Amino acid sequence: MSSNDKQATSHYVEAAIWLILAAFLFIQTFSFNQEIEIYRYGAAAWPRTVIVLMALAAIGQLIFNRTRANRYEASKLSQALDESTADQAEESDSSGLKWYLHTLFLVALPFVYINLPKILAGTTDVGSPELNRYKLICAAVVTVLFIIAAWRNHLGAVLALPVLFAAMMQDLGFYALAPVFILGIMFLMGERRAGMMGAVMMGIYTIMMTMFVVILYVGLPTGYVRPFYDFGTWMVKILQF
Amino acid sequence: MVEVFNNFLGGTITLFSDPIGILIFVGGVVGGMLFGAIPGVSMLTLAAILLPFTAHLKPEHGIMLFSVIYCTGVYGGAITAILFNIPGAPENAPTAFDGYPMTQKGQAGKAVGAAVMCSAIGGTVSAVIMMIATVPVAAWAIRAFGPPETFALVFFGLAVAASVGAKTLWKGWLSILIGLMIAVVGLDPVGGIERYDFDMPYLLAGIHFIPMILGFFAVSEVFVQAEKKVTGSYEAPKMSVDFPTFKELWSHKIAVVRSIFIGFFCGILPGIGATLAAFMGYNEAVRWSKDRMEFGKGKIEGVISSETANNAATGAAMIPLLALGLPGGALTAMMVGVFQMHDMEPGPLVFINSADLVWVVFAAMFFANLSIIFIGFMETKTIINLLRIPFQFLAPLILLLATVGAYAVRGLTIDIIVMFIAGVAGFFLRRSGYSVAGIILGLILGKIGEQTFAQAMQMLYFEFSGFLDRPIAFGLLLAGVLTLLGSIYGAFFKKQPQQQPE
Repeated sequence: MSSNDKQATSHYVEAAIWLILAAFLFIQTFSFNQEIEIYRYGAAAWPRTVIVLMALAAIGQLIFNRTRANRYEASKLSQALDESTADQAEESDSSGLKWYLHTLFLVALPFVYINLPKILAGTTDVGSPELNRYKLICAAVVTVLFIIAAWRNHLGAVLALPVLFAAMMQDLGFYALAPVFILGIMFLMGERRAGMMGAVMMGIYTIMMTMFVVILYVGLPTGYVRPFYDFGTWMVKILQF
Repeated sequence: MVEVFNNFLGGTITLFSDPIGILIFVGGVVGGMLFGAIPGVSMLTLAAILLPFTAHLKPEHGIMLFSVIYCTGVYGGAITAILFNIPGAPENAPTAFDGYPMTQKGQAGKAVGAAVMCSAIGGTVSAVIMMIATVPVAAWAIRAFGPPETFALVFFGLAVAASVGAKTLWKGWLSILIGLMIAVVGLDPVGGIERYDFDMPYLLAGIHFIPMILGFFAVSEVFVQAEKKVTGSYEAPKMSVDFPTFKELWSHKIAVVRSIFIGFFCGILPGIGATLAAFMGYNEAVRWSKDRMEFGKGKIEGVISSETANNAATGAAMIPLLALGLPGGALTAMMVGVFQMHDMEPGPLVFINSADLVWVVFAAMFFANLSIIFIGFMETKTIINLLRIPFQFLAPLILLLATVGAYAVRGLTIDIIVMFIAGVAGFFLRRSGYSVAGIILGLILGKIGEQTFAQAMQMLYFEFSGFLDRPIAFGLLLAGVLTLLGSIYGAFFKKQPQQQPE
């Protein structure tokens, strides 16, 4: 496929995404299209106006791209428009359907962790030992899957790791997860010196704990799944002694 | 005038004769600058953390603390915008458009120096005008500015802002429309009807703007830099502590004066605040410039215009807060909370019942803006050294600070998830040339826009022609429509100036 065809396809795909999104959001407005006694336009008028404008802007963008960008395709303007996408993407191999699917899998893992234990345990009661056991198992499985998937897609992993960190934080707590998170981000960004990584991790962790827990008394999440909960509360006791 | 001076003198004496007052003042100045300048957190984070503690302070100390944090925090946010492309607050977003390219060109010192000087000038002049003009301007604003005018101003602001930050105008509009749609989530402002909540209790309250700001700016910037690190195309920003010369700054005096007017005008309007001021200050600088194609590529005038305007809005924002009880932004909204914690309501009666409080606050804001010059230059020499830290070490620190910033607002871990999802979305949108600043502006102004539109239509008996009878509203709407038509014409028939994406 020539670069011209690729560009045309990307323009159509982009417009299609916007129009599908607009259609989805518009259909949703029927669920809250209720009359309000003091406001004759109702609750749906404003979002519908925004959605129509969104669809118009998407069509306008497509027309603009297909007419003007084609005309100037070989010109500097066109190159400038796509500088950070096409060039870097080709260099980095961080584009293309395969990369997007791989990244989508990585970003989906945190949501698997959030929902799967509840489905397996058949309860959403946070005090249930059964649920907590499934959470620990799922956390371990998801982490292993993440490491395997991240091995060949470091950029996708950098995008997904913070989401996974946030998803697990409610259960496992900030105190236990933060050191692993710091090491993970450093590793994915290319740092390989173990001693340096350890020292920086300790430094950042100490800064965070001193600034927020010791000085400002911010109650960071301790989690509620044992033994992580015990570790979190122990840290708080030590730091705020 | 003599009365104003005497009141100011009285406020200054009260402020500096009370050791606790001095301590809180200094704490607010340093804290605002530091939190504004630390990547990933902002003055709002500090304010959110401190809010519960103000219940234990005297009312004048509590309000003064927040007003000082406001002044210095708006300046502090420029540091991260310039050094790391991470605006400390939405009002610093336009500063990044030219400030960050200046850093990449090795002119970080010049950009930060310009921000220090112009923040101090804009803020100090605004504080002086605030002292002189609060009462008459508040009286005019009450008469002239109702919901139709505020809606018209929001419309005009969004029409102007569409051209900033995105690679094409269409992407600029789409970015703003994304923000407007995010603002729709939650209860509708008139009937309290649930919209786009998908049966999730979290979404009922709407999506909070702080996790969105942190996600779209701080987190997505880390991802953008991470891509460069992973692909090996990362280049560390060049270090420099060369401050701009007086001659350089003097050559932009017209931009400074114009931005002071814009900032003050935008700041004075309830619900608009410094964000629109900064965008409009920047946009007008682009509009009036002879070499507008250079904006977005590291032009010092971009930093000057944005920083003067947003700090000029800080003094002005106190006018609707104190005179009408209407907050101009997130931080002034928190100040309403401080008033309420002390069983007080901001409004015209404050000037009668608590004149001392008002003048202590005014004096504190004046001196806080002046202190930006002295502490700002000293701080800059230190903060700029953050550029020496390799990004793989800075990135986890930024992400963790953002995590705490998002969590501290409401104590909800789901806010952290929302922030990181916004970061991922921001990364892909930025890659495709959309403007994260446009999204945030749409989000913040969208809520105000819908609410004031509903109020305006009720006021005008649902007759759109009612806008024609209100000259200010009509003028602003006309200006907005002309801006839109002009940009559509420009998009199809003219070569567009290239705006630097975030």
